[in-house]
Amino acid sequence: MNRDIFWLTIRELAGRRRLALVVLLGVLPSLVSVAYRLGDQNTAAARWTADTLLYNVIITIFLPLVALIFGTSALGSEVEDGTAIFLLSKPVTRGSVISAKLMAAWALTAVFVVPAASVSGAIAIWGTPEQGIITGFVVACVLGALAYDSLFVMLSAFTTRALFVGLAYVFIWEGIINSIFSGTRFFSIRQCCLGVAALISSAPEETFSANLSGLESIVILAVAVVVPVWAAVRLLRMYQVGESG
Amino acid sequence: MLNRAAGNIYDLGYRRYEGQRLGRRHAVWVLWLHRLRGCFGLGRPASSKIFPIGLAVITLIPAVVQLGVGALGARNAEVIRPENYYRFVEVVLALFCAVVTPEMVSRDMRSGTLALYFSRALERTDYAIANFAALATSMFALTFGPQATLFIGNGLVESDPASYLKDHWQQVPEIIGSALLLSCLVAGIGQAIASYTPRRAYSTVGILAVFILSSAIGATLLSVSEQGIWRYSLMISPFHVVAGFSFWFFGASPEPLSQLARADVPGAVYAAEAAVVAALSFLIFLRRCRGIKA
Amino acid sequence: MTDATPSPAAPAAADIEVIDVSRWYGNVVAVNGISFSIGAGITGLLGPNGAGKSTLIHMLSGFLRPSAGSVRVLGQPTWGNEHVYRQIGLVEAREAVYPFLTGREFVVLSARLHGLPRPEKAAARAIAIADLESVQDRPTGGYSKGMKQRIKIAAAVVHDPQVLLLDEPFSGADPSQRLRMMDILKGMAQQGKTILFSSHILEEVERLAENVLVIVGGRLAASGDFHAIRKLMTDRPHVFTVRSSDDRRLASALMNDPSVSGVELDSGAMRVRTSEFAAFTMAAPRVARAQAVTLFEVLPADESLESVFAYLVRR
Repeated sequence: MNRDIFWLTIRELAGRRRLALVVLLGVLPSLVSVAYRLGDQNTAAARWTADTLLYNVIITIFLPLVALIFGTSALGSEVEDGTAIFLLSKPVTRGSVISAKLMAAWALTAVFVVPAASVSGAIAIWGTPEQGIITGFVVACVLGALAYDSLFVMLSAFTTRALFVGLAYVFIWEGIINSIFSGTRFFSIRQCCLGVAALISSAPEETFSANLSGLESIVILAVAVVVPVWAAVRLLRMYQVGESG
Repeated sequence: MLNRAAGNIYDLGYRRYEGQRLGRRHAVWVLWLHRLRGCFGLGRPASSKIFPIGLAVITLIPAVVQLGVGALGARNAEVIRPENYYRFVEVVLALFCAVVTPEMVSRDMRSGTLALYFSRALERTDYAIANFAALATSMFALTFGPQATLFIGNGLVESDPASYLKDHWQQVPEIIGSALLLSCLVAGIGQAIASYTPRRAYSTVGILAVFILSSAIGATLLSVSEQGIWRYSLMISPFHVVAGFSFWFFGASPEPLSQLARADVPGAVYAAEAAVVAALSFLIFLRRCRGIKA
Repeated sequence: MTDATPSPAAPAAADIEVIDVSRWYGNVVAVNGISFSIGAGITGLLGPNGAGKSTLIHMLSGFLRPSAGSVRVLGQPTWGNEHVYRQIGLVEAREAVYPFLTGREFVVLSARLHGLPRPEKAAARAIAIADLESVQDRPTGGYSKGMKQRIKIAAAVVHDPQVLLLDEPFSGADPSQRLRMMDILKGMAQQGKTILFSSHILEEVERLAENVLVIVGGRLAASGDFHAIRKLMTDRPHVFTVRSSDDRRLASALMNDPSVSGVELDSGAMRVRTSEFAAFTMAAPRVARAQAVTLFEVLPADESLESVFAYLVRR
């Protein structure tokens, strides 16, 4: 990984507007937790935290959205703004470029998702035995962020419409199709996250359960990182400038 | 050739246009049509067509599935009814809005073509209206189309279509009304959000976040408590508002134990809220249009 | 520098070697079977818009894959080979700068990415060459177009490359900026670097380049010493439109002059055909004076760059 490109990308991505958007989004789960504490709490705290808050809100919506914001812009904004030529006309291997961009996107995604998950989870589950739920989901978020960012970086090396494809993947493939055809759960980063969380936490089945075993999840996540990165490097090697005068 | 003695300049090409000018109304109509075509990627390369048209096709799937089930004989197995149709496709509708709106709004802001628009017969208000109308129309196609397909299909499946029509004719205005309100609501929200940033990516994610996050948060808040003020939590979520007024339009009631039933807020309230939000978001968009430096 | 076959006494492998290179997009051929080799000094790539100059430079810089033929810089192929950038500097028209970096940070970043051992020092030197010391601590987002161009040049030469490629470097530059950039390039050429720049403006190429590659419609129309080509271009049949106080008398007198090959009288003016541009321009006033005819207008027709190049291609 090229450290200069890493820091350059961090600076590029951490623009004021982007950060404001992500911070705004990040506060919401905590507000929801506060609302839960103030209310009736007719669902057991552990179950609510795991299932509703950490899975339905953080892993299903918040994590992919933040990953989309940083993952598609890491490489995509270079191409869109025209600075890709500067970066690529240097004797830096394409592998180091991609890994630097990916690490930057991952770092930023994790920096926002981990606090959002931990804080909102801590608020909700305060007082009851934690059973490793928050730890489990935070680790799941971190690994899921890496997988999502890998996928999105690869997509942005492939097409200028990476954001749309990424959206379709998250909301149509993982959202709709996976819920109808349960056999496709092996191709879902979301399900893997759930599996990792279940693996780490010691909570019983009724609290929350995953559709994939811990081992399956880790293997699939590893594949979901390695394959897109390899593809992205190959695609970047073939980067060409369009025709003009 | 210059006539050196006199030093004239000859009027060689520029002529004023003396013909008919069609005026503002026509300009609005043309812009609306152009935007509508742009929504579906017509007149643009194929890559702009895939997403809108693909999503439009997906919205038809539940209708097709229901008709298939009905045609195969299980007449009374109503998996998908008109009143809960939108729930099945709400994510797709939000996606469509998130994909199409930034193309329309943010692109103009970024490329600076607004000056071109406003130096013609078009006022800023007209621009806002035409944009909004085009977006609402395209969403209407996605909401009315599938519902109409379902309705007509159901009629054709019956042995006597005419009597089906007589029995169910009031569904037609219900369909139109609910689709219209939904379109205006979604279009309004989308445009208001998109008008705040010239970068398409932010608009897209922002629109999706608003729709989907508010849905999750509203549902979560409702699960907190079903008494007092928490009953109204679903009103922050456009998805739930749509579901709420759909039931009201079609004169049905939500399934017991569903989130809407537990909230127990009359459907008419959702409908009113939708209308108000649509109007407000249009005004926000209008204000942004007026303020944009062209 | 000639194209095609190198003579037996040719020097060691030229810095840039292009052999029968073509690039097509479907049915459109942007570059058509071009071969040349370039060594130290400044070479201008001249051609009308759409002739394929940018396409050629993109292939030379490894950002476009040739459909056929080979492109070698310093003996190495440029496509898919990031190591070649150690010796190449590229200034592309469409390349953007990172607006949030200051000029100094931008050039230092370039130096770092090149793996230079003392990036700050190299950057300072490059910025001095580009004459941007006074603004180096300002974010490049606030630079004028000329300053952006020069900071790009600084970033491209920070690693002291042997080959420098510039795509339309003077487009949109005002005359003083142009002069400054030309000085930079001339300085580098004197150190033995190989510089190739593209332009569609004759005067720029004339002022800066010792050698020229003329490209028209994707094909190499002419190459070599600029003055020789100029002469070739001007020694083609010209048509002059002449108006005088007595066309007929002047016409018959001009027919006697060896530089004139034909005269045509029209109402109000006459057209003179000649194949010796310079000779005729000196003959016309001389003959007119001898005949006591006043010349009102001597206008060479057919002077567009395109027609000149078209002639060259047909030749």
